[in-house]
Amino acid sequence: MMSAAYSEAVRERCREPRRAGAWPDGDRAVGSGSAGSLDEGTWTRLQVRVGADGRIDDTRFKVFGCSAAIASASFVADALVGATLAEGAAVSSAEVADALELSDDKRAMAALATAAARSAVHDWQQRTGTRDPGPGSNGGVSS
Amino acid sequence: MASERPIYLDHHATTPVDPRVLEQMLPYFTQRFGNASSKQHAFGWRADEAVEHARQQVAQLIGARAKEIVFTSGATEANNLAIRGAVAARRAEGGHIVTATTEHKAVLDVCASLEQEGCSVTRVPVEPDGRVDVDRFTAALRPGTVLASVMTANNEIGVLQPIADLAKACRARGVWLHTDAVQAAGHVPVDVVALDVDLASISAHKIYGPKGVGALYVRRTPKVAIDPQVVGGGQERGLRAGTLNVPGIVGLGAAAALAREEMAVESVRVAVLRDRLLEGLRTGLGEITVNGSLTYRLPHNLHVSFHGVDGEALMTCLADDVAVSSGSACASGSREPSHVMTALGRRPADSWGAVRFGLGRGTTADEIDAAVACVTGHVARLRLMSPVATGARA
Repeated sequence: MMSAAYSEAVRERCREPRRAGAWPDGDRAVGSGSAGSLDEGTWTRLQVRVGADGRIDDTRFKVFGCSAAIASASFVADALVGATLAEGAAVSSAEVADALELSDDKRAMAALATAAARSAVHDWQQRTGTRDPGPGSNGGVSS
Repeated sequence: MASERPIYLDHHATTPVDPRVLEQMLPYFTQRFGNASSKQHAFGWRADEAVEHARQQVAQLIGARAKEIVFTSGATEANNLAIRGAVAARRAEGGHIVTATTEHKAVLDVCASLEQEGCSVTRVPVEPDGRVDVDRFTAALRPGTVLASVMTANNEIGVLQPIADLAKACRARGVWLHTDAVQAAGHVPVDVVALDVDLASISAHKIYGPKGVGALYVRRTPKVAIDPQVVGGGQERGLRAGTLNVPGIVGLGAAAALAREEMAVESVRVAVLRDRLLEGLRTGLGEITVNGSLTYRLPHNLHVSFHGVDGEALMTCLADDVAVSSGSACASGSREPSHVMTALGRRPADSWGAVRFGLGRGTTADEIDAAVACVTGHVARLRLMSPVATGARA
């Protein structure tokens, strides 16, 4: 798939990705999650840092993958900032794919990014002993 | 000095038509529009003369005789004609074909389709440097082998195959040898007599000629009698029917003549620039992996893997500045590595980080320096977000 197949939004996020990077493991305020597989060519890792108010106050991502994978991870990383944990776990891959104007064969990249986000939220909840956010829940944290 | 952007470094995909070639083609669209098969009037005679002149020019590029050149719609058709035509002609002797795992799809897919039709195919693996081992190749030849097809130079990694040695093995066993010389002819010396091949495919648009025209060399001494695959008019001595694409053929001839004249100087010039590119990337990025032999390689090819970086993502970053090619495409979250990289025994991660640079007639040192700066910057930045490069895998 060549570059011309991508929207300017994807290209801009590849050239100037926002929130790329990683925090060291072990920070209690940080939850980490990943999705995909290096063996299959795409692997996305997302980290969420949760503030005292229970909202995600910052994020980081790392990606090995194509342009759509990078743009999706960067987009989700941006979208999570300020969200509750429930909102973070519920980011819709369809919305990400639509916002980035991904073609049908690239929409799975958006799903990887949102799966990594869910995984990061769950990781934070597991490690802090907070309850799992069911449907409609606010994530078990006061909001 | 500022270079025009984007800088075109994808000359293995295609080349621009040289203005000198275009100039020779143009009259054959308008004033000299005749059908080369119209033997009864001057319009046809002039078209026919132009075609025969081009045939001579193409023959001279590869050391053939004019009568051994069959014009086609391109190299894919030439490969189809060579392989299907040879196997059809010799089917009674056996239906076994030998080829290599790194061939272009225009050869591999033809072989696969013949396999569906009852032929058997042996795909000889290549060594880690991308070259076919002559002994392994020879061992694959057997009674019933009627054709072998091995490319002169690979379209991804630019590696040159030991065609003359493979031809010796074929000759001794009565096996015809076809070579897809599309990436090599016009860029490095290709002499069908010295190589002792029976069939060779070439394409105009890889040598600054127009798209949609190519040629197949079909040896006449000893005669290689292949069966036509397109019938209905008897053109090209019955080997390829259809009204001849006169402007395209004139363009192929002109491009072949220019390539022949300029090859000695141009191949050294681009090799120097290619080495400058490699050195610049190494200086800027430290270790990078060159895929395939650097010794046995087209002078205008560089194929490298940037560890931890996806080639497709790099191309997106480079799109406004440098036009290159990556060997992998990604869909639905799972990808097939390039079959050439897999054949070299490379890990998928190396395949996904692979980028092909193809230098050309218009490439300048300034462009190379600008490309190095651009690629280096983007690779370094992509590596910062790569879990592979930094070992952040969970």
